[in-house]
Amino acid sequence: MIELNAVSGAFALLSSDINAWLYLLPGLVIGLVFGAMPGISITMAMAFALPATLYMDFLPAIIFLTAIYTGAGFGGSVPAVLMGIPGTSSAVATTFDGYPMARKGEHNQALGVALASSVFGCLVSYLLLFFLIAPVSSVVLKLGPLEMFAVAVWGMLLLGSLAGRHMSRGLLAGVFGVLLGTIGMNTAGFIRGTMGVPWLLDGIPQIPAMMGLLAASQLIGLINTTYLIEDEGSRKISFSKILSGLKTAFVYPTIILRGSVIGVVIGAIPGVGSSISNLLSYSETKRNAPDGDTFGQGNPKGVIAAESANSSSEGGAMATMLALGIPGGGATAILLAAFAMHNIVGGPSFIANNKDIVYALIFSNFAQAILLLFVGLGFVYVASYVVRVPLRFLIPSVLVVSTFGAYAIEGSASGPITLWIFSVLGWAMVRYGYPVAAAVVGLLLGSLLEGNLLRTNQISGGDFISYGLERPWALLIFALMIGSIIMQALSKRKKLKQAAENSESRSASEAS
Amino acid sequence: MSTKPGRRVVWGHLLLLTVIVGVVIAYLLDARGVSTRVNNLLLVQPAAILALILAALVLPGLFPQRGSAEEDELPKETPADLMRIFALIGALAFLAFSLETIGFDIATFIFMVVALAICGERRWWVNLLFSALFTVFLIYGYGTITPFPFPLTIL
Amino acid sequence: MNSKFSRRNVLKVAGGGVAMAALGMPSILRAQGSFPDRPINIVVPFDTGGYNDRLARAFAPFLQEALGQPLTIINRGGAGALLGHTFFLQQPDDGYTILCTSAAPYIPLNMLTQNAEFTLEDFYMVNLPSQDYTLLATSADSDIQSIDDVITRLKEDPTSLSVGLQPASADLVNFSILCEANDIDFEATRMVTYDGGGPARNATAGGVVDIGLVGGEGFLPLAEQIRPLLTFDSRQRDNWEGAIVTDVLGAETDFVVGSQRGWGLHGSMQESNPEAFQILVQAIETASKNPAAIEALTTQQLATDWYGPEESNQMLARTAAVMEQYIDLLQGQ
Repeated sequence: MIELNAVSGAFALLSSDINAWLYLLPGLVIGLVFGAMPGISITMAMAFALPATLYMDFLPAIIFLTAIYTGAGFGGSVPAVLMGIPGTSSAVATTFDGYPMARKGEHNQALGVALASSVFGCLVSYLLLFFLIAPVSSVVLKLGPLEMFAVAVWGMLLLGSLAGRHMSRGLLAGVFGVLLGTIGMNTAGFIRGTMGVPWLLDGIPQIPAMMGLLAASQLIGLINTTYLIEDEGSRKISFSKILSGLKTAFVYPTIILRGSVIGVVIGAIPGVGSSISNLLSYSETKRNAPDGDTFGQGNPKGVIAAESANSSSEGGAMATMLALGIPGGGATAILLAAFAMHNIVGGPSFIANNKDIVYALIFSNFAQAILLLFVGLGFVYVASYVVRVPLRFLIPSVLVVSTFGAYAIEGSASGPITLWIFSVLGWAMVRYGYPVAAAVVGLLLGSLLEGNLLRTNQISGGDFISYGLERPWALLIFALMIGSIIMQALSKRKKLKQAAENSESRSASEAS
Repeated sequence: MSTKPGRRVVWGHLLLLTVIVGVVIAYLLDARGVSTRVNNLLLVQPAAILALILAALVLPGLFPQRGSAEEDELPKETPADLMRIFALIGALAFLAFSLETIGFDIATFIFMVVALAICGERRWWVNLLFSALFTVFLIYGYGTITPFPFPLTIL
Repeated sequence: MNSKFSRRNVLKVAGGGVAMAALGMPSILRAQGSFPDRPINIVVPFDTGGYNDRLARAFAPFLQEALGQPLTIINRGGAGALLGHTFFLQQPDDGYTILCTSAAPYIPLNMLTQNAEFTLEDFYMVNLPSQDYTLLATSADSDIQSIDDVITRLKEDPTSLSVGLQPASADLVNFSILCEANDIDFEATRMVTYDGGGPARNATAGGVVDIGLVGGEGFLPLAEQIRPLLTFDSRQRDNWEGAIVTDVLGAETDFVVGSQRGWGLHGSMQESNPEAFQILVQAIETASKNPAAIEALTTQQLATDWYGPEESNQMLARTAAVMEQYIDLLQGQ
């Protein structure tokens, strides 16, 4: 599958213009900084860099833009870990364990783990891209609504594990989230629940709502605390602890690999991408981990799962873009525009005729991933000083930043107003034992669920079963899902049995 | 007074559940008002009904036994702490609703000053200085990268 | 060798900088007081990355040159351009805010299906260079070979084919016209609704739906994966094979053109600020005819053709009139 001619052509291309590599570092830094600002999306960062690439040659232009892409992908994890703010939907699952780790004083390790998983996920995804670009692209277009519905249901399984102690409250939060996620114009053109507010036609603004539920609500609740990390001794910024976090990530190669495969595959599906893949990876990892119960309380495995999946989605999205010439999301749309500026049009013929460029792209992304490790270390080190800022400064500052971000992403006061409503709702939910994360998952998946269920109904004329039998991929996804649940149930029973035996033998030994 | 441990009412939780149930019912009625076609209600109607059933299951949690474990779980802020939380929520509401009308610069500055005070910064000069610097920093920082200008009054 | 490359790059970067500075320069040279004497905003009622956004950003340097003032692009996406159109009209009609939008179908759709509080006359289209059209296509490996196949099968059994399209779209209207002309029970057809052109095209190319009706320009990158069957225009477009609607349904047939995208001003400007109005119309014309602009936009697959205000406004009005006839269909339900 790899053509050596093209590979050597790629190396020739990459070494032809050594100066092109000068754009790597600024690209990564711009990406990191933009990505770390809540509400500034990867697309926005790239859209602003696009005009600057007009005057560059093709190679530096693409290196610059993809470096921003890679940098911004990780940048979003920094506020997710340090403050529980998911600046993008792809960092939602990172907040689940990253933020609790930070609160426990393990912010250094958490950031190190996140960085290593991102770098590794990015590398793996481009490696997979190298081999899988052709097969992935032939499958992507054939994915119908039933397959997408299966993916969405898979994501919904996460609700079960997010529910916490009160199952009914957890499920209620999730279903409530789903309902809120379907507000606005649905895929068949019906307009519900907008109360006549024009901006609700597109649904509740997702990112402001998420920031409100997950972050602002927490901050409001922290008002009577003096520091993010209560123990003063744990507030240290320690380079060696960041490094030990890096190492932690590599202790769990299966989690990273699973995350990366999920990331690439889901990332390749246009319009779904990294916002879902991090949830799926988190959910699968939690279900398969022996210590799944400690997820959500600061288990580094949760961070690894989320970060390896969201960073590897980039590779998947690139596969679709290169193979089919269609953008899976905003970021790849910008890349395609940059391609077009240099008279290069994506699509099947592009790959066939420009294998050297494809491989050059892949290789330059390897380089980006490795450089990200070093740039990211410095960035993370500086950013982690946030934990030393007293909360009386941090709370107002972060609330304002979130508000600005909410405005930036929506372009009107609808963002800040949504943020406010959902931060009050989130605060009340946390207060009375409802898992806000479940509501966020529902909100994210609501329209995906509804749209694809609807299309399945339309396409099958209501006859789901005979249509389902014609869709082997959907059946495969459902089978995998059921298999995974059964495996979990079995291992749980085994564990319970073991625990029972242990306690029996212990009580027996105690008695003796 | 009876010696039997009674049940208490968690008013805040009751309010939250009322809001959730209210929103679900209002949404379902609105959706049904738009159209009762399958293409409109396929997911919304079953999900809404499921939400109402779940809400019913949550109901007993609103009235925990006195002295039970569930009662111990309830948040225990002092009234003063709660007042500060509500004050902060109020300040955030002011920020969200006034940004566009009085300008980002003024709204942000006022919010920062008030929120810093609520959060416990007692030195007025530190408060004013930090608020002013942070406001300027944010407006120019975000202003340069967002694809539209922020409405401003002074800056 | 390295140094040679680096010098060239430095020069390039410097050149870019100078070019950018030069674009801003004429503002200083111009006399104060005459329009425009401050930066002008371009409202794009869509998010970054879409066609209008790319058009605005690619065209802006040349329009900037013609106007002698820098341009700021403001993205106000959402609700099918309703939010952006409303925002644009709320700005003063002094010429310091101009619009780059898909006038059709969105302005008529806003009015017909979203109770927008504006009318067509509130907008004045200076030029609508991009004229999209509905393309009916099927997957390249489908057994459907021609539009006749489609019509025959649907006549026999309207549920025999699944049809991918967007609700409340020009494509939907065109499909209903096709059905009506061939005595196909439109209501009984198996329509599958997608949230955007992209997903509908992917579904068509992947064979998820049997046929799809979507804007034709967006199909270009997928050309190898689809088989074009029918173009809803009176002439062949983008070298698509397959039939042309006026040949299939007769020269007199109704059909709705797809997106008409380009540049608009406040309709009220003609009376309130005639001078600024003239300057803007002229500047857009100059920039549209600028060979450098034509070259730059063509390489990005963006349209620059100059139709002029008269034709552009007529085209929009025509589209709006046809769409109004199908108001029930567009409102759905």
